[in-house]
Amino acid sequence: MTSSVSRLAWRNLWRHKRRTQLLLAVVAYATIAIIFFWAYYDGFVNVLLGGQARYLAAPVLIQTQTYRTDPDPENALQQLEFVSELAASDGVRGVAPRLEFQALLRSPYRSLGAQVRGVDPALEPLVSNIPGDITQGRMIEAEHELVLGVDLAAELDVRVGERLAVDVQSLAGSQGAGLRVVGLIDSNILPVDNSMVLMHINDARALTGVTTATGLALDVRQGDERMLAETLNTSGALPAGVQAYPISELLGSLMSGIEQKRGSMIPIVLMIALFAAVTVMSTVIVSVIERTREFGVIASLGLNQFQIARMVTLEATYTALIGFVIGAVLGYAMTFVMSSTNLMGPFINSFYGRYLSGLAISDRFIFATSLSYLAWAATTILIASLLAVLVPGRRVRNLNPSDAMRAN
Amino acid sequence: MRAILIPLCAALLTTAAAQTMSANDLIDRILGNLRGESQIATLEMTVIRPDEQTTYTMRIYSQGEDKGLTRVIAPAKDAGQAFLNDGDNVFIYNPRLKRVLRLPPSGQSDAFLGSDISYNDLAGDDLREHYQASILEDTDTSVTLELVPDDDAPTPYGKIALTAEKPSFAPTRIVYFDQRDTAVKENILSDYAEVNGLYIPQRFEVNDLLQPGNHTVVTWQDAAFDVVIPEACFQQSALEREGVCE
Repeated sequence: MTSSVSRLAWRNLWRHKRRTQLLLAVVAYATIAIIFFWAYYDGFVNVLLGGQARYLAAPVLIQTQTYRTDPDPENALQQLEFVSELAASDGVRGVAPRLEFQALLRSPYRSLGAQVRGVDPALEPLVSNIPGDITQGRMIEAEHELVLGVDLAAELDVRVGERLAVDVQSLAGSQGAGLRVVGLIDSNILPVDNSMVLMHINDARALTGVTTATGLALDVRQGDERMLAETLNTSGALPAGVQAYPISELLGSLMSGIEQKRGSMIPIVLMIALFAAVTVMSTVIVSVIERTREFGVIASLGLNQFQIARMVTLEATYTALIGFVIGAVLGYAMTFVMSSTNLMGPFINSFYGRYLSGLAISDRFIFATSLSYLAWAATTILIASLLAVLVPGRRVRNLNPSDAMRAN
Repeated sequence: MRAILIPLCAALLTTAAAQTMSANDLIDRILGNLRGESQIATLEMTVIRPDEQTTYTMRIYSQGEDKGLTRVIAPAKDAGQAFLNDGDNVFIYNPRLKRVLRLPPSGQSDAFLGSDISYNDLAGDDLREHYQASILEDTDTSVTLELVPDDDAPTPYGKIALTAEKPSFAPTRIVYFDQRDTAVKENILSDYAEVNGLYIPQRFEVNDLLQPGNHTVVTWQDAAFDVVIPEACFQQSALEREGVCE
């Protein structure tokens, strides 16, 4: 009898094709919306994390604990002998030393403070996207060369080929150097284009008096940052007082804000699911009212009220399930396209780049994909089925067959 | 003010790593006019802008090329501010805050009391070893040297043209060029006082050539040279305590 009820429910779906198509469209739309929503949100988080990791910090950064709390070059790493062992560690794809400090840049027209990053030009491209975003000139190749953000260069009115004076107050006392501008960084990321300066780490060492580095940037696969940092911190690979910090920890309050924001997104997703489920339930209620006489006939042929109620519930569940499958196929097809093309990058960069001006929002934005979005989308089926049991199913269960037979 | 201008002038003029001996000799001769051992003077600095003009009166104390203390006397709203040059460092005393602050690198580009002189200028740059000097023009009444910075010299300028009058070799004009061969700043020195055979400028004018109408004029009202100034005058504590230097 159960299979008969199932078959009846399935057949009923296609007796009212237009109504079923409408319901399928609503459920598919909700499913697509939920998948799209999470793919967009996770994509945005990935852009945020990747941007910070590849432009402003590093996927994993090794620093002294004192430098982490007081970022003064005086708190630089004491020695770099552990670098070769670090580079050979599992999961580490590259290691690049950095010496970061504040400096005053002087052109003939004005002077501006800037964050300077002394780098090894051969190793930095392993851990940073900045060298790839030099659109005018080239990356530094030797000492006495410098690249800087295109907006900073415009502020200073300095061009490729010109010399820029760099003044530093540091361990080495008051130091100055003249460095030739060989390239301009145009990353479309405000903090980079406005204030980033790269120079050879040997020049940075001469200016600051620091003979090592303030940090070691590690390239690791996205998603493995925390695990690798924990491994390094517990394996004894790092000297005393030195710690590996994953990008999520380097972001600090921003990361916890992202987690909180994710939690606050859940009600929005549930609202979308509820909207679709209520639409399904409403249509089923109308259907039940319209089909009262039909139910009376079915009841007289031998089905009891509970079986009819189950049939109605199954109709709603089938509709939700088919709509879900259609929506999932279409939703994942869309996110696949959006995750392989940079259609929204310029929009995201121009909108959020200004809104979140302190963060690295790249102009490359691709959607994330994860099967976990299906679980969220499946809540539509769950809620629709539940509501169908509670409301139209209840009405059917209370049906009096003789009254139903007389209904118009 | 001379306390802070002397290092500036001396630094600019000591850029004498000339390829030719004659240029070297000339630089040394010109520099000699700016090397007073010590001096105490009252300065008047007028900052001229297209729509306003402000005059400051200051008392200065200097010892050699890298020590100097400048105290603002007038106008009343700025009186009490004091600036100490100690080598490359500049310390500032603000009477309202009652605190001494060391000027950070990022603040060294700020204009000194809103003038066309920056704190960075006041700290002075020792460019002696970074410039190549050559004689641009040599007449009976003046000589002009061209100072071209070495490739890695810590200066943003493309070159400096320095003119001195003959036979005193007192510097009269310093023009700074950017790296596109455009003059961007001009210092004019005049009204020389002869002290022990040296010709020391008593008027100093800075013109911003990129913003016509913006210039700063500094004049020495009285000046005593080769005077004994207590060492305590060049300590940070002297910034807050008037009367230590005299």
